[in-house]
Amino acid sequence: MGIEMKKTDPQEVPESTGLKASAFEDPAAQLGEQETWADQVKKLVRQNKLAAFSAVLIVVIILMAVFAPLVSPYDPYAQALKDRLLAPSAAHWLGTDELGRDMLSRIIYGARISLTIGLVPTLISMVIGTILGLIAGYYGGKLDFAIMRLADVMLAFPSLLLAMVVMYTMGGGLVNIFIALSLVNWAGTARIVRAQTLSLKEAEYVEAARSIGVKSRTILLRHILPNCLPSLIVLFTLNIPSAILSESSLSFLGVGARPPSASWGLAVVRGKKYLFTEPWLSIAPSIAIMVIVMAFNFLGDGLRDVLDPYLKEQ
Amino acid sequence: MIKNILKRILIAIPVLIGVVLIIFIMLRIVPGDPVTTMMGEHVNQVVIDKVSREMGLDQPLYIQFFKYIGNALKGDFGTSYRLNRNVTKIILDAFPNTVKLSICAAVIAWLIGITAGIVAAINQNRLLDRLFMGGALAGVSMPVFMIALVLQYLFAFKFKWFPVSGYDSLACMILPAIALGWNSAGSIARMTRSNLVEVMQDDYIRTARAKGLMESGVIIGHALKNAMLPVVTMMALQISSMLSGAVLTESVFGIPGIGRLAVNAIENRDMPLLQGTVIFTTILVIIGNMIADMLYSVLDPRIREGA
Amino acid sequence: MKKRVSLVLAVAVAASLAVSGCGGNSGTGTSAPAGESAPAGETGETGAADQSVSTVDTSGFLVASINSDIQTADVHKTTKDYQVPMNIYDCLVSIEVKDDGSSEVVPALAEDWEISDDALTYTFHLRQDVTFHNGDLLKASDVEYSFNRQLSTEGAVNTDFLAQIAGANELIEGAADKLEGFETVDDYTFKITLIEPYAGFLACLSAPGCSIYSEKATEAAGDQFGLDPSLTVGTGPFKFADWIINDQMVLVRNEEYWKGASKLPGVVIKVVPDTETQRMMFENGQLDIVDLDYLPDAVDDFTNRYPDQIISGPRLGTTYFTMNQNIEPFQDVKVRKAVQMAIDRQAVLDAMYGGRGQLENGIFPHGLYGFNENLPEIQYDPEAAKALLAEAGYPNGFDMEIAADSSASDAVNQALEIIQAQLGEIGINAEIKTMDESTWLATRKAGEMGSFMSTWTADYNDPDNFIYTFFGNGENTKLRSLNYPDTEVMERVQKARSIVDPDERVAEYHALEEKIVSEDAAWVPMYSRLHPFAVSKRVQGFTVSWSGLGDVFFYGLSLSE
Repeated sequence: MGIEMKKTDPQEVPESTGLKASAFEDPAAQLGEQETWADQVKKLVRQNKLAAFSAVLIVVIILMAVFAPLVSPYDPYAQALKDRLLAPSAAHWLGTDELGRDMLSRIIYGARISLTIGLVPTLISMVIGTILGLIAGYYGGKLDFAIMRLADVMLAFPSLLLAMVVMYTMGGGLVNIFIALSLVNWAGTARIVRAQTLSLKEAEYVEAARSIGVKSRTILLRHILPNCLPSLIVLFTLNIPSAILSESSLSFLGVGARPPSASWGLAVVRGKKYLFTEPWLSIAPSIAIMVIVMAFNFLGDGLRDVLDPYLKEQ
Repeated sequence: MIKNILKRILIAIPVLIGVVLIIFIMLRIVPGDPVTTMMGEHVNQVVIDKVSREMGLDQPLYIQFFKYIGNALKGDFGTSYRLNRNVTKIILDAFPNTVKLSICAAVIAWLIGITAGIVAAINQNRLLDRLFMGGALAGVSMPVFMIALVLQYLFAFKFKWFPVSGYDSLACMILPAIALGWNSAGSIARMTRSNLVEVMQDDYIRTARAKGLMESGVIIGHALKNAMLPVVTMMALQISSMLSGAVLTESVFGIPGIGRLAVNAIENRDMPLLQGTVIFTTILVIIGNMIADMLYSVLDPRIREGA
Repeated sequence: MKKRVSLVLAVAVAASLAVSGCGGNSGTGTSAPAGESAPAGETGETGAADQSVSTVDTSGFLVASINSDIQTADVHKTTKDYQVPMNIYDCLVSIEVKDDGSSEVVPALAEDWEISDDALTYTFHLRQDVTFHNGDLLKASDVEYSFNRQLSTEGAVNTDFLAQIAGANELIEGAADKLEGFETVDDYTFKITLIEPYAGFLACLSAPGCSIYSEKATEAAGDQFGLDPSLTVGTGPFKFADWIINDQMVLVRNEEYWKGASKLPGVVIKVVPDTETQRMMFENGQLDIVDLDYLPDAVDDFTNRYPDQIISGPRLGTTYFTMNQNIEPFQDVKVRKAVQMAIDRQAVLDAMYGGRGQLENGIFPHGLYGFNENLPEIQYDPEAAKALLAEAGYPNGFDMEIAADSSASDAVNQALEIIQAQLGEIGINAEIKTMDESTWLATRKAGEMGSFMSTWTADYNDPDNFIYTFFGNGENTKLRSLNYPDTEVMERVQKARSIVDPDERVAEYHALEEKIVSEDAAWVPMYSRLHPFAVSKRVQGFTVSWSGLGDVFFYGLSLSE
């Protein structure tokens, strides 16, 4: 009994072994011991069936995008001018577009582009936001002030307008969409990460680590960042759909994705003018957008409940 | 209180300067010659060079910037390339239409959002709750312009309940306001619901229930009061997303507001107009956020005491 | 609590209004009861005032639409916004289209003119009964003023139309402050002297860019001319009454019009950017005239449902696809001919425009003065094209770039996708690069654009307006990224301007056109399109204007009640 006590008593270990104190009080580390990923997934499935279903759906859509050539019935770029604007049929489940291309195949291939648009700028903006947020929160002072005022400025812009300005400056196209959406979205992440860093900085295990001379970078990467991760994962999940929607808005305004790349947003915009006569051309990609956006939103909500009490309070 | 307001204004000033600076720089690194684009196909080079000189585009960037700031302080945002008029005047003419649209949208978002939130909270985890929350999320998950177009198609074109476009009567405003407000309604509903659910667990609500008050009376009398606070702040913070959405809604319904100006400016590569609209709307957002902060401290006694 | 909250919100909004110093522009318009809109064509009383804020009573007005606001109504400062100017100003001459499709220059503000034997001096006689909207009589001094201003005002863009007049270039460059070649004889007579004979000169004067202004009113308006409707004065059949940016422009009948007052009391031109909205407005009876160029994909549907209400006319313009002769392998005429034959122009026209138009084989489109119907036809023949490529040393094709302008219509950019696929059939691997408009223009101007497709529409009815723009000199072919190398041909194009005898001149143009397109394959002529409009049943007398501009001339229209 007494021996076991010693083993599990974190207070004793650093003194006897000289190991870093933090590893034992670090909630992230504890999380790893007490609640594994598997446990969390189980919890998610148990608590929120919708979120679990959404996760499955997202995986299916990603697989569909990756294996598009195998899944899609036709070449999405093959024109057949004689078969333009066909209604949905057994041969073409979602009909054909204005150049006679199979709509279903175009939507399947479009998933590649729309998912990329969801993932890449979100990832970029979160990396930028996390780094700046960590720095601002941890070092404080002038650096903090400068970063956070910049974040204030970026957050003050209505996001669509800012994205429009970026697209105006650099022109349309996929890469520029990435840049525009990354620029627009990093500030929100930075704010949240900074707030968490501020509170974690005061945590005992961080203080302890600092007091025994652990480098700042190590503290940030080993102790603070892992504890921000749950929030970041949730944010990531919730930012993806907004990026996808933003791209469709930009396309509507004529500064978004460009043909022949067939993003869903662009497909909606190009199909819009056939709303009266061939409504499936705009409705099918709209529904595709809606499904993926809802799936990510449901998943994000579910993850938030499971992972992140912090964001829930926000 | 006044000290508080002053403090917030002081914080806003560097943000404003940053906003102007960032937009200014972003718009100056445009490739291509703005004058060529502005004047179109049938124009010869001599004329193009002359106009560039006249517009001061041949001067160094920092001189252009300080001139711009100086004029902006006097309320002069320059002259639109495309519309040939003072940008400030164009914006102020368009502004009331955007305000009208946004207020209608806010009211609708408010009505739908809070009602849905209350209904969902009362029926927590029952079918009605799922239905309303699912609906709220579905609304947020469609491209705004598609919602606008579908509303217009169904209710103005097919059923002829509302005009297809226009902006001066309430009837004209309803569809655009729904299209624009839907998004906020979704967020408000979700927030109202979760706040209500939380508040209803509180002790004093239980006491009220124990006293024998009716369920709905309990909710309206006590819970709503506390649950509304964050919702109010959120409404003010939604100004930013409303203005983003207005860009799309105004284009679909043909409302001559600020959003339309921004789109015009992009289409015509009208830099002064784009610059002016973005800066102006951003100022609105900043003011909106300031008001949100103040509202919060007015409405929440705890903060007021703390301040 | 709820009450208090909304009160606070109202205060907040009011505060933000106050802070931004908003004035508000609420007007006197009446609102539309939504249920009243009638189906298209059965409209009786739908006026624009139903939906919009305007200070003018617009009941009984015709309602038309455009998809983006105009820049200015000052034609000296715009090359594209002629919808309002065409209806509020007049030119010295105008163009009349005869039944056989040919057209001629007819008198307008100038009732008569004489041309000297050396074709250098034109003596014009003005009508003596023309008044401006402000009541002043039209005098020769107004014409002189207008021409001076057209050449020298700040931001003048329509200088080319008058560049043939002696002293014009000095005025443009600022070396002179008066047009040397203009001589006022008396109040109603003046002489214009040209630098060298130019047979297209009269046609030039019919362009809306050469509208005649009032000296007094224009000077008084200063920089507000063309912007403030009340100051924007002309002699035309309509007065410019009101303009709300992004909303509408209102034209009101000029009761004193020298040809007799219009039967229309006025016109409202709504600005409707969204094409689906335009369509719904027309079908719900909120619009009388819709330019179907804005909604090419609706034409078939409209033709089925409103067969009597679709009115089309030729659009004086040639759509062309270019090949840059500075870029490998387009120096080789065989390659260019192969491209000409590889593009199935009819298929493009059918797919994008429902076949509404005619294939063109040269430079001058159907309907233009000097059009040649006997040009050799360019055949769609991918096999022959492949053979030609092989002959030229490219049996497996080559890589090329097509530049697309992101601001061009969907139809144009989709046509490029079709062309891309067709070129692919003969092994040419064409990549479409989409650029924004300014980059596109800049690249093209630098002469570095591989290929692009565009349409040139007539400013005035003369072949010179087409051939000179593209093949007039080395600079012009570079500006269009054609880089046509044959200087001898270009000299002939330059000389053709001064051929006085009309038959001789047309014959020379025919020869040049055949040399440039049929022999040298300097570009791929695509097609000229029909310009369809949908018109509500109550509109009488609608015809499509002859010009390449595509704007509607409202004089001559009426509404049946």
